[in-house]
Amino acid sequence: MSLKDVLSPFSAWKRTLEKPFTIKKPITEREGEDRYRGFHVNDIEKCIGCGTCEEICQNEAIDMVESYPITANKGDSGLRPQIDYGRCCWCALCVDVCPTGSLGMSNDYIWVTPNPDEWVFKPGIDEKEWKDDDKGYRRTEEAWLLDPEQEPMPVLEPEVRKNTFKEMAKGYQVTMALEEASRCLECGICIEACPTHMDIPEYIRAIRENRLEDGLKILYDTNPFSESCGRVCTARCQDVCVLGHNGEPIAIRWLKRYITDNTYEKRNEILGIGKPLPESDKKIVIIGGGPSGLTAAFYLRNYGYQITIYEKHDKLGGMLRYGIPEYRLPKEVLDREIKTILDTGVEVKYKVEVGKDVSLKELQETYDAVFISVGAQKGTEMPIEGMDTLGVLIGVDFLDRIAEGERPDLGEKVIVVGGGNTAMDVCRSSVRLGAKEVQVLYRRTEQEMPANDEEIEEAKEEGVKFEFLTSPVKISRKGDKLQVECIRMKLGEPDSSGRRRPVAIEGSNYVIEADTCVMAIGQKVDSEMAQQANIKTTRWGTFDIDPTTLQTNVKNVFAGGDCGFGPDDAIRAIADGKKAAYFINKFLTKKGEPLID
Amino acid sequence: MEDILNRLDQKFYVQARYVQRPNLAFVTLKKNVAVQAITYLRDVEGFRHLVMISAVDYIEQNMFQLTYILHNYQLHSDIAVRVELDRENPVMDSLHHLWAAAQVYQREIKEMFGIDFPGSPRVDEPMILEGWDNIPPMRKEFDTKKYSEETYFPREGRASCDPVKIMEKKLYRVEAEVKYEIKRVVRDNRNKSADAN
Repeated sequence: MSLKDVLSPFSAWKRTLEKPFTIKKPITEREGEDRYRGFHVNDIEKCIGCGTCEEICQNEAIDMVESYPITANKGDSGLRPQIDYGRCCWCALCVDVCPTGSLGMSNDYIWVTPNPDEWVFKPGIDEKEWKDDDKGYRRTEEAWLLDPEQEPMPVLEPEVRKNTFKEMAKGYQVTMALEEASRCLECGICIEACPTHMDIPEYIRAIRENRLEDGLKILYDTNPFSESCGRVCTARCQDVCVLGHNGEPIAIRWLKRYITDNTYEKRNEILGIGKPLPESDKKIVIIGGGPSGLTAAFYLRNYGYQITIYEKHDKLGGMLRYGIPEYRLPKEVLDREIKTILDTGVEVKYKVEVGKDVSLKELQETYDAVFISVGAQKGTEMPIEGMDTLGVLIGVDFLDRIAEGERPDLGEKVIVVGGGNTAMDVCRSSVRLGAKEVQVLYRRTEQEMPANDEEIEEAKEEGVKFEFLTSPVKISRKGDKLQVECIRMKLGEPDSSGRRRPVAIEGSNYVIEADTCVMAIGQKVDSEMAQQANIKTTRWGTFDIDPTTLQTNVKNVFAGGDCGFGPDDAIRAIADGKKAAYFINKFLTKKGEPLID
Repeated sequence: MEDILNRLDQKFYVQARYVQRPNLAFVTLKKNVAVQAITYLRDVEGFRHLVMISAVDYIEQNMFQLTYILHNYQLHSDIAVRVELDRENPVMDSLHHLWAAAQVYQREIKEMFGIDFPGSPRVDEPMILEGWDNIPPMRKEFDTKKYSEETYFPREGRASCDPVKIMEKKLYRVEAEVKYEIKRVVRDNRNKSADAN
């Protein structure tokens, strides 16, 4: 030890008379830096309770708990994170991963309480001083741990697809599917949004782990039309996908398609279809072989019942066949998928129209149970002058003809009236039939259009023109052209559906000349058969059913799909078919007991 | 910097070098010449300050990597000397005779990684892990989660909900029942047909 070592401690004495650096009591609070990681804040309106923060937390500091006044809702589990600050290490991984961007950290770091239980609280819900702090740590674009971009689906170029009914989307390659599947957070918020509640995170995991056979089995647990849905589903799941809040949702539909594209050749073998099923002597008749009826048939066969389907066309598939054009769903795909369902042992009577060729009453008496799934196949006509003019067509009939293989000549200019998915199918089919100019007329604005955004976008790419806030009032014929007289509209007060009601502007009439005009403004249910068996219908012509059990006033008759709830998408019909299978089985096994508690 | 590294290479053979910026370079040296080389850097090249010593466990390559960061006040430059040790025999020569502060780093590395520095003062005494009864905790094979689950207990009354289950319960109870029942029936049939094969 040197002399310096002994003396140097005393050098501190030279500061004896200087002003001290210490802070006086009571301690004045020093604000943290602007990006300091202090106590959490959570924007509870933005948070949807996906639980990703809980998942990523390495210290298990976060629990998802029910948080009054937030309740579960579409796209929101109603849960909110609760953080145990005895475990939190302020690493901010939860903030950096948060898909909605609701979770952040305030720059508040001074707080103390003697009660250890108070160190567990729900940011944004429990009253804390820093609850509404703007300062503090928030995730930045660069630090975000998630990938906001969807893997693009390879499609035919607009110029190519305009001239062909060939399928437009080509399907994911393996690397694309893995890339897309790896974006999924498995929060499961999407399951509720799917009408048939498919196990979406489970089959996406199966893709990621390259277990496509398991994936197929998971699909068939809830949906025997997975291959069609993988192409044409309206994908309500994607509307609520947690990644859609700050980026693009997972391409759930395309991932589903990827599983079926890669397993369809061995489908029956994988699913054990064609192998003996339990056998019951009870017989069930299904009226209408569309997605709803066939789904019911598939699951009722699994229960062991003997199934007969009455189909008025010469082919099965309903609106999937007659309402959706080939470029979205090739008939070959639909055929092989229906074959899988029929391979479970279903009897089909083609070209028999119940209500005309055979009475509903007779079926109701001969069979143990009846499921009516006739859909809503009648196109709605507009109550205007000139609907019967040559060259004016109804949307669903038009699509029906195309599905049958007809390729009608529509002339140079086609007008399509309506803003739903049927209108999109009609206008895009018209382009493919060679029309030079296709114009869609819709009485509200683009925002209110019920058609899927993707469909609208693709129609635009194919050269379809849109005219909003307009509606035809009169159609007449002059020479070889149609004269479509329209009136301009403006948006008024919201109606019962919450959409603003269009109101005509007096005297704003104008005329458009066209060769063909297609009305795609809605569909109706043909429920004339109902009276034969004294089944009640509603004033919209749908069958009057219990919305939970699908049972009509006649105990052994059930109805579902479009004819039960009015026109909707395929997945809704599939969900009804599955539900019908469950309640029909319950009805047949527990005679007399109520179907629900 | 390149000149210094070239001189170092001539004397001690530099296995790998990487100049990250003009005043920071990384060199990898053989274990048996490392202390000599560090002494040379200190006494001849003017790297008089030991910034720190750190260790990394490369379990896949079955080695520990030690890094000695040295600083030269005149040149405002750093050289980081890396030494690779066999994981099966993690012993390294001590540096405490060059810098007394090295003994603290060495003691800590011994505690956290189990790398021994024979002769370093108090190297076997625990530094922060009093009463530690497990393998050194910074080794990759140490399972932190398992250890904490075995050693500590969770706070009472904590419970978490699954978003999927809660939404089933609150929003679609009947449909969830339908789903699980149908799933059960379909899977039973599938399993039976698989068993029959």
